[in-house]
Formats: sequence, C-alpha cells, structure tokens
Amino acid sequence: MKLFAQTQLLEDVQGKGLCVGCGACVDLCPYFTTYRGKTAMLFPCDRETGRCFAYCPKAEVDYDAVYQFRTGRPFQGTPIGPHIEVFKARAGEKQTECSFQCGGTVTALISCALDNKIINGAVLTGSDERMPKPMLVRTADQAQQCAGSKYSASPTLAVMNKEAKRGVRKMGIVATPCQATAIAQMKMNPTDKEDFEDPVSLVIGLFCTWALDARKLEALLEEKGIQGTIIKADVPPPPAEVFVVETDQGVTEIPLSEVRKIIPEGCSICPDMTSELADISVGQVEGETGYNTLIVRTEKGAELVKMARSQGYLVTENLDGDKVHNLAQASGNKKKRALAQAQEKGLLNTPDDAGRAAMRMSQDALNKIQP
Amino acid sequence: MSQLYEGKKGEKCLFMGNQAIARGALEAGVSVAAGYPGTPSSEIIENLAEVSKETNLYVEWSTNEKIAAEVAAAASFAGLRSMCVMKQNGVNVASDFLLHLVLSGTRGGMVLVPCDDPGALSSINEGEARHFAKLLEIPLLEPGDFQEAKDMMKWAFELSEEIRNLVMFRSVTRLSHASGSVELGEIPQTDPKAQFNYNGFILDPMEGPIVSAPVAYKHGLQQDKLKKAQELFEVSPFNTYVGPENPEILLITSSGATLYSREAIQLCNAKDKVGLLKLGTTFPLPAKLIEKHLKTTDKILVVEEVLPFMEENLKVLAQELAPRVGQKTFFGKRSGNIPITGELNPDLVATALAGILGQTYAPQNPEYTTKATQQAFFNAPTRDLTFCPGCPHRASFWSIHNVLAEDNREGFVCGDIGCYSMAFLPSGFSTLKTLHAMGSGTGVASGFGKLGQFGLNQPVVSVCGDSTFFHSGMPALVNAIHHKSDITMVILDNSGTGMTGFQSHPGLAVDAQGNEAPALDIPTICRAFGATVEICDPFYPFKTQQIFHRLLEMPGVKVLIMRQICALSPEKKRKKAFEMSVDKEICLGENCGCNKLCTRVFRCPGLRWDDETKVATIDEVICAGCGMCAAICPSGAITRKEAA
Repeated sequence: MKLFAQTQLLEDVQGKGLCVGCGACVDLCPYFTTYRGKTAMLFPCDRETGRCFAYCPKAEVDYDAVYQFRTGRPFQGTPIGPHIEVFKARAGEKQTECSFQCGGTVTALISCALDNKIINGAVLTGSDERMPKPMLVRTADQAQQCAGSKYSASPTLAVMNKEAKRGVRKMGIVATPCQATAIAQMKMNPTDKEDFEDPVSLVIGLFCTWALDARKLEALLEEKGIQGTIIKADVPPPPAEVFVVETDQGVTEIPLSEVRKIIPEGCSICPDMTSELADISVGQVEGETGYNTLIVRTEKGAELVKMARSQGYLVTENLDGDKVHNLAQASGNKKKRALAQAQEKGLLNTPDDAGRAAMRMSQDALNKIQP
Repeated sequence: MSQLYEGKKGEKCLFMGNQAIARGALEAGVSVAAGYPGTPSSEIIENLAEVSKETNLYVEWSTNEKIAAEVAAAASFAGLRSMCVMKQNGVNVASDFLLHLVLSGTRGGMVLVPCDDPGALSSINEGEARHFAKLLEIPLLEPGDFQEAKDMMKWAFELSEEIRNLVMFRSVTRLSHASGSVELGEIPQTDPKAQFNYNGFILDPMEGPIVSAPVAYKHGLQQDKLKKAQELFEVSPFNTYVGPENPEILLITSSGATLYSREAIQLCNAKDKVGLLKLGTTFPLPAKLIEKHLKTTDKILVVEEVLPFMEENLKVLAQELAPRVGQKTFFGKRSGNIPITGELNPDLVATALAGILGQTYAPQNPEYTTKATQQAFFNAPTRDLTFCPGCPHRASFWSIHNVLAEDNREGFVCGDIGCYSMAFLPSGFSTLKTLHAMGSGTGVASGFGKLGQFGLNQPVVSVCGDSTFFHSGMPALVNAIHHKSDITMVILDNSGTGMTGFQSHPGLAVDAQGNEAPALDIPTICRAFGATVEICDPFYPFKTQQIFHRLLEMPGVKVLIMRQICALSPEKKRKKAFEMSVDKEICLGENCGCNKLCTRVFRCPGLRWDDETKVATIDEVICAGCGMCAAICPSGAITRKEAA
C-alpha cells in the first residue's frame, strides 16, 4: 500500500470529487471533521504519512494486499467476492418487529451479537431529521432505532474512529462496501502504529449500488415538497425506475433519473456491490420483500449466523440458484462499469509517473472482470 | 495629581507629544474635548479626562468621530473653546459634519486634532488628514517638535477665533508617541460661561442661527477666512529658516519630517550648502514667505511623509511666482528622490539629499547589515503578528473558522477595524476575507447577503467589536435586517475598546471621566432591531460552535455575541482563571492524530513546542490561564485546574 498523508488525500479525493463521506478519515486527528454528511478539512497537516490517507477507500487501495489480509487470497475479481455460504434470511421470533427495510436480518444479527456480548457496542446509522446520524449503540433496543436503509452517504466510520480513540474495543459495525474496505485497511495497521489495537470485531456489510449525497437528498426532498418524518426509502427493482419515499404523511415517487444526479462521483468507481471485505453481507432478495440475501464470508460471520439461528434471532432458507446467479450478474456488472470508469479517469493502476491511483489490482483479476 | 495640569509656567517637563498637545489645549483654556479612540491619538483625550477631575473640563469618548466633532462644535457654538480628537480614519467619519460646519463657521475656538499614522504602524490604511484641510478649506497647522506641539495648540485656538472657523492641528505617530522636553506656559484660571445665542440676524456670525445657508455667500466667506489665515501665516513664528543666505538646496519640510531633515543635513555634513525651511502652517501656504525663500536658490527639496501634499501646493505657488523668482527645480516624491508611501527616517532623507548634492551616503556599513541579518535569522525566533496569550479573539476565530470549514458551503467572514482585524492572518486562522473601515464588515455582509438572487449561496458572516458596534455597526445591522439580508453577525464583545487601551464606550457603565454611566445592552438592542440573538463564551468552543452552526443554517439576520473580557483588561490582568499543564505521556506531539495542533495551528504564545522531548509545554510566564488549549487538545494531554 502506498502511503501518503493529508495533502495528497485532499488532492486525490476531495480535489477530484471522489469523497463519499464515509468518515474513515474523520476524528482520527483534529484536522478532518464531518458535518451534515460532508467531510471537511479544518487545517492542513504537514505529515508525510497519515492514517487518513491509509484508511481512505478512494486513495491508493491495494486490492491484492487488503484481500490477502482479510481473506487469505489476493483479489480474484469474482462477482460477489470470497464467501462461505449464501442464504435468504429474515429476523426470527426473538427479534421484535420494527421498521425493517426487508427481512430485518441486519438488526437481528446485531441484536444477537450485542445480547451475547460478542461485541461491546455497534456502530450503526440512525437519522437526525433528514440527515444520517451514525452512533454507537450498546443494546439491542437501541439497535432497533437504527433499522432501515438510509440511502444517504453516512460518515459512520467517524464514530468508529472517535470511539476507538476513547478506548472502545470489540465494536460491531454495519458498513457499506466503501466503509468495509476502509475498515479492512484500518485492520492492517498500515502506518505501523506501535500501540495499534483493532477496535472492530464484527463487520456486517450492506449491498450497495450507490448512495446519495446527504445534503443534496435533503434539498431534493424539500424541493419535492415531501413533508413529515421519513419512515422508509426504497428503490424497487426494474423496470420501476423510481425512488420511493414513504413518510408519515404519505408516499412520493421521485424518478430515478433525478435521483442519479445526486449520487457522489466517488460511487461511480466503486467495484464492490456486496461488501466483500465484511464478515457477513446483507442485501435485498430479488422480488421478495420480507427477506434478505445473506452472504457469509468469514468463520466469525458463520459462527454468528449459526448462533443467531439457534437462538431464534434469525431464520435462514436456501436462496434459489437463479437468484444467486442474478445477484452475481448485477454485482459483476457493477465491477465492470466501475473499473471502466476508473480506467477512463486514470484512477486505476495509475503509473507512478502519472500520479497516484484510487485503486490497484492485478491484471489477472482485471482480465476476469473485463474479459 | 498630574504634572500635565499642575506643572507651573517655565517648568520643563518630559512630555509625550500627545501630552504636549493636551497641555497646549489646557493653556488655551479648552472647556470641551471629545474624541473616539484610535492610535496614535488616544492619549490626548485620556490625559484630558484625567485632568477633568481637577478643573472644569468636559471630556468624552464619543460614540464615533462624527459625534465627537458635533459635541465639540456645540461647545464652540456656545462660546467655549473645544477640540475633537481622532486618528486619520476618524476624519473620514467626521467629514460629513465637518463639511457643513466649515460653512456655518464656529464661535468659540474649535480645533480638529487628527493624528496620522505614516507607515500604518497601527492602522489598516495610510490615509492622511492633510488633504481634508484642503477639502474643508480650513487652515492646517503641523507642529515639528514637542515644544511646538504645545505652543501651536494654543495658537490654533486663537487662530480659530480670529477667523471664526475650524482649524486643523495635525500630528503624526512619531510626534504623538515620542517624548521630548516641553517648557510649560500658564493655564488660565478662567470660568467660561456657555450661552448659545441665536436671535440675531441670520448672517450674524456671533448672534444668529448657525447654519450653512446661504451656501454661496457662506462659501465666499469661508475663502475670505482662509485668506486671513494665510496673512497670519506669513508672520507665524512656527515657520522657521536655518541655513546659509543662498543655499545650494532649499529643503522645505514640516511635521515629523523636520527632525529627520535636521539630522539628514548633519549626516551629509551639508550645513553650509542646505537651508532648512520648516513650515508649521502648511495650508494655505504663506506665499510671501515662500517667495522670499525661493529667490535664494534654484533647487528645492521637499521632505514630507506619505503623499506629496505640500510639494504639489508648493509647485502651484512656484509656478505663479515664476515670473518673479524664476523657474525652480523641485526634488521630492514626484521626482522619485523621496518615497511616496511609508514613513521617512533620517537615512532616507540623507540619501535623497546626498543624491542631489552629488555626494554618496551609505546609511549603514554593508558588513553590518549582512551581520545583523544573519544574527536575526539564526538567533531571533520568528514571531508573527498575533493575538495576545489568552485573547478571546483567538478562541472566537477558532470556532468561527472551524464552523465555516465544517459547514463546507464556502462561507466567509467580512471584517473591520479592531484587534480582530488580525484574523486575516494565520493568527486568526486566516478567517477574515474582507477588511475595511469601522463597521464595514457588517455593511459589506449586508450586501453579500442580498446576492442570493444572483446565485450566491455561500453563508455570509460579519465580525464586529463591541465598541465598533456602537460606532458604526448598528446602522449596518439595521440595514441588513430591514432588507432581509441573510447574514450572521458575530459581535466580539471583549467589554471595552480593547485595541486602543480599554477606553469606555456606550456599552459600559462608566464614561471617559470615570463617572457612572448608563450601559446600553447590545443583545437587547439587537433583539429590538429584530435579529435572532444568542450569547456564548468563546472559551467554550464546543457550545459556541453548536450555537454558531445552528444560526448559520437559519435564514435572515442572526447575531451571535461572543462575550469574553479582553485578556489585558484591567479587570483580568495577572489573574489566571486556570493553571494549565501538559501531560508529557499523553501528548501526541508530531504523531498522526495531532501533529502539534496547539503549537503549529492554534499558536497561542503561552504554548511552547519542546524540540528535545517532542511534546508541547506551557510557558507559565506568558500563559494567561484562559483554559482554551485544554478544550482543543485532541488527546486530552492539556489539562486545566482552577487557579487558587
């Protein structure tokens, strides 16, 4: 992994509009903060290397190194990434009903991990009016308050950094793919910090095709005259082509063409749809509203799923082969699109004399993705 | 009791220029003095205020310079001698009233005392009041040393009464703030009575109403007054000549440059070649006197600070006199011999003089210059222009800067005059993006706040001091509110006119003479105007930033009062609120996670970076114990303990 610091991070990520506001650089130091969904630099730092650059999922991510570290093998470029099993799942009877996006799988797994003290706390994303509000929760009850997809890019990792600094360990985190990548890089202790202790013991990854700029989404909802408290937001499968916002005062549909305009630029080069570097990944099931797709990726993830099932937090079933196939196809397409974009922008495997790359990966993996 | 008042006739005292001016006014029997604080003028009013306890004298720090002029004029209208005092920019503020006053004329002697600041040593412009004398069509007097500062002041009052109009008496920093020997005169023990007469004929200057109309008639009268002054100037003892009968060069100078010129002639060893004509009456120029001297030589060097005011007036006069005195060659600013901006010094004048004389003059041994530069580079620590240790402005700008950066909508701050002007520099985190006259921050912000219809969607913030708020911030705030401009005005309330030395203002419960006075409450005023008002203590940055963020997102005019007494205020001096300490084990130093935030970015002079141990330390001698650094330390290494 090539290490740089704040100056280069500003130039490469903020400067090129690639920041997705994941929060990975925030609260490590006094120089990066986040406010209303945007990452801001308060003062320049003149260090030559820094964790801000090292953790950022849009700056010199060495895919082979990070996959090797997390999965034991270099980056292969397979559509849904390294995994052990794929299920369809939903919350079990032990899990109290609340406003789930689909099957409540994430909330159920986090509740199980908290109740069984596998984790000391979970970093989740709630809402403060119409802004995403990441927070550390300590109980299953608190976790339920954060259920449901937010769609706005959220600086969740800022909370992870802040709590880690305060000494919190054994955190569970619900992360988008970019955030899972940042966490994986963090776990590698890339700056060789002597007193480094990994504060994260569980990563539940979310499927993600793109997120929305939090401030622009807030403005769009305002522009559309959407009143009341948001209960749920959703993108129904094609050919719907709408973004559905449900508030306590009704349901509004916004054409996807308008919504796409507020996707952060950085999402366009993201090759990961299914949070490949998480312990467990969770997303929708094509055509089934009350269920989630569940990808178990690590032993730790497998143990948690097993425990959640046996204690009644979670119910799993087999996922149809063609649904796995379709998921792989969608995921593979995102990889293809993203890497083509990254190449076009000179952000993939950038030669040293042409500057720094956003991502580096082997030609083998690239050939697999883009035959 | 002060020597200023108690000193007897004939005694010699070491007086600061401003004290000499004050004593001159006392010897003239001044009854009313009003001013607005501004370096280098402030000590004149301060000294008179001190004396006002011993004699029947009314002294005030007016809300602004225009009002100071109006207050002084009222005394003149009632037959008393009065003066108004301000720094150069103050005359800009007062000029609207003054332009009317000079038409209506005055009764009791009235003197306008502006103190200019060549080199802008403590100003944000290098403007000059001299040009106002021409614009106002009033006589201009400029003392050349400390004795003259006193003596000419007395004469200025007499002149004002002679011509029944305002007289400008101009000082400069190096005269106002330097000290010299002054032989005292008598302070008259009179008991002047004030009475405003207005029942006479409208054109009666002493008994009629005092108005500027009929303008054409009064304007003609004003020019007559100026002519009369010119006649008096011809015989003024404050215009002196020293030198040979027929000098090779006639050096004409005035004001602070007089001393530099005297020294320069010595440095050039040119007493036999150079004649020094020092003018105390610089507008209008005494034509006959000038004619007499122009006849003695062909080369004239004009030495004055900043713009070629006297030089140009002299050239006009010389052209008129040319048939009788012949064509002269002028050296000065327009010829490039004397710098056209900035302060002068003896070396600059000597260099110019030597050049014209065909001599060489090296101000310093070049070897000395090189050595001095080296010594300074290696041995002197770099010191930026910065806020004092424990200054609330540093804390305020910390929060303002950080909130605007976090807000991330390219918000900016419009500023004006006060210690907080320095916030355009790194010491204030380069937060100010516009910087102009008193109260202009809010006026400019009010304009920015109306540019939404042209697509401007950056948050607009202004900063304004508490004294500035009363001086000229209030009309700007009123304008913003009335026009529904979207701005956040931050009032940096440090409870006094901090920059010039804690002079009182209408927000304080005391006046210039030390009497109890009704204090006007800034938040109440702003609320009455219709603004949303919040108050916070900048030493609590978390709370401050929370409030500021909230205000920034609200539409309309919001006022945030950041209130914390100036670190140097008499109330606070030497009293630390907290004993500060750094835990060396916790301090992250240069490591990732801090990288010297306190000593590299925050840069309070009370914090020191120890290059050997690589940790921050507290300089206990300098630290003011405000506690702010504990609030910003990212690792909690800096702690504060309530001081005993």
